[in-house]
Amino acid sequence: MSAIWTNCLAKLENEISASDFSTWIRPLQAQEADGQLTLLAPNRFVLDWVKEHYFVKLADAIHEFSNGTLDLIFEIGSRSVTPQVTKVPKAADGKKAGPNFLNKAFTFDNFVEGKSNQLARAASMQVSENIGKAYNPLLIYGSSGLGKTHLMHAIGNAVLQHNPSATVVYLHSEKFVQDMVRALQQNAINSFKEYYRSIDVLLIDDIQFFAGKERSQEEFFHTFNTLLEKKHQVVLTCDKYPKEIVGLEDRLKSRFSWGLPVSIEPPDLETRAAILMNKAALVNVELPQEVAFFMAKRIPSNVRDLEGALRRVIANAQFTGKEITTEFTKEALHDLISLQDKLVNIDNIQKTVAEYFKIRVADLSSKNRRQSITRPRQMAMCLARELTSHSFPEIGDAFGGRDHTTVMNACKRIAELKEADSKVAEDYSNLLRTLSH
Amino acid sequence: MAEQLPLDFDFRANQTFNDFYPGPNQEIISHLQQSVIGSGEQQLFLWGATGEGKSHLLQACCQLAQQQDISSFYFDLSTPKLPAPAMLNGLEEIELVCFDNIETIAGNQAWELAFFNFFNRHRERDHKLILSADCPPQLLTIELPDLKTRLNWGLTLKLKPLSDDDKIAALIFKADQLGFEISPKVGQFLLTHYARDLHGLWVLLEKLDRASLAAKRKLTLPFLRQVLSETTN
Repeated sequence: MSAIWTNCLAKLENEISASDFSTWIRPLQAQEADGQLTLLAPNRFVLDWVKEHYFVKLADAIHEFSNGTLDLIFEIGSRSVTPQVTKVPKAADGKKAGPNFLNKAFTFDNFVEGKSNQLARAASMQVSENIGKAYNPLLIYGSSGLGKTHLMHAIGNAVLQHNPSATVVYLHSEKFVQDMVRALQQNAINSFKEYYRSIDVLLIDDIQFFAGKERSQEEFFHTFNTLLEKKHQVVLTCDKYPKEIVGLEDRLKSRFSWGLPVSIEPPDLETRAAILMNKAALVNVELPQEVAFFMAKRIPSNVRDLEGALRRVIANAQFTGKEITTEFTKEALHDLISLQDKLVNIDNIQKTVAEYFKIRVADLSSKNRRQSITRPRQMAMCLARELTSHSFPEIGDAFGGRDHTTVMNACKRIAELKEADSKVAEDYSNLLRTLSH
Repeated sequence: MAEQLPLDFDFRANQTFNDFYPGPNQEIISHLQQSVIGSGEQQLFLWGATGEGKSHLLQACCQLAQQQDISSFYFDLSTPKLPAPAMLNGLEEIELVCFDNIETIAGNQAWELAFFNFFNRHRERDHKLILSADCPPQLLTIELPDLKTRLNWGLTLKLKPLSDDDKIAALIFKADQLGFEISPKVGQFLLTHYARDLHGLWVLLEKLDRASLAAKRKLTLPFLRQVLSETTN
């Protein structure tokens, strides 16, 4: 850091409130050259504010510490060591034009497979081994935090492993939009088109964000068609089945469903436990199986929630130097668990299930034995067992004072039906998703 | 019950880790420091009630970053008028970004989407993000599911409130930082009769420091009563 700027910071720190100093002065980066001290602001917002409110103070301080030898210049920019990656890549010299944005940490090997995601994983592996031939486009859809992005990066990394010369690009749909807008502003739309239409494997994440952006949809439609015609691979992810996206053109919805749409569901208990042990192993922490199951049971939602809880346990263990046991984990996650208990309890499970099946909450505790009531009741009992820490007798009590064996049988019956009847599996999965978010 | 005093001058103490009374929050300080200097978590979410020191800690992170020549940016979103989300443009290049009171953007569609995109760009560069809120991420009323799950992704830490004994110890600690002494009795008196939130106590302490310097007197209980009665009058 420039010595003059360091002195200016020390002076201004005593003249400006701590909060304003951290917001407006600290982010400025100084570059000194040719009789000028250039202050780089991260964006227009900071630049305008600083010029309006602190110009005099800054100019005075710089004048004082440079003995009047430096002129003050403001610019937007950064001296960050991170390469600027948001420019429109040029395709002039053929393929290897831009960065691929792949995260090497996401591979098929460290993707934990379970019933909820095995189809998506298998299809992704197929695609990575047979670019443009197996399923094109491959569309992976499901709620946030279930591993769609992991699979996308895994496809890209596997393709590059088989064929290092392939042009693979991962990007979020928003970046496609930004690149297009920038290309339009810079009158470079042709190189934008040329670039995106020359990619061997295009991986676009979260296509639901194309909704309502007509020009981007139009451009993506043509890119998509060109890639498919050339038998290049397109892989897409979405938080829902594309036909359900409001604001997406019908022709795109239809095209997105041409290849293979596969869903990822929330992971089951065993998969959640395996994910936890796998993630812990990645940071060289051995997570005992019983702890993994304890956490998996208490955090039934998505993989990001599991990761967040695991970070808490590991951080706490490293700080205190204690061994990770179930007791220790209970204590470390005390706040999270109490919160989870408040958010998911038998009452709101009953309410959610009753709403879903359009029956009354009281029916779930009644003696009614019609299938239209018993099936939702069994499902609610099973969900209560999976999502709360209540025992079988406690759950039985909450459902009209039923015996604990009734609850056990309900759980067994639902497990069987989930295997045999896809409608039951879908209903259960929908309810699990609603209750876990 | 004694009426709380209105305190109307700007408190300008440095917000550094050295000025923060750790009390039961030593672990949090350690995680924040590790994150800033590069060996800790990429994403931290700090939550706790108002006045417990979240803003102080976030600004302390920026101060530590400055010492390490790491670029940083702090912004308190609880500003009276939330700026346009375009203020997030370019912040992904900053190595440490701290957003205070992130709950403010909940329900604001444009902000949620812009913050989601900023989050992805910033994370892609493996830069550090520290957020604070008055509740845990699960209770934020963020409507964009993709953003909500991401806020839960990092290490979430709850700032533990100080007990009254801790507050008295914190007052003594803070007075020491300012270069004067107060006794536990004075601390107890301030806590019983005046502000009980930490920020209010710090402001009060600085005011007393100035009065004691001006009068060239030690901060005894009688002097304290005199200064504070003059303030109320």
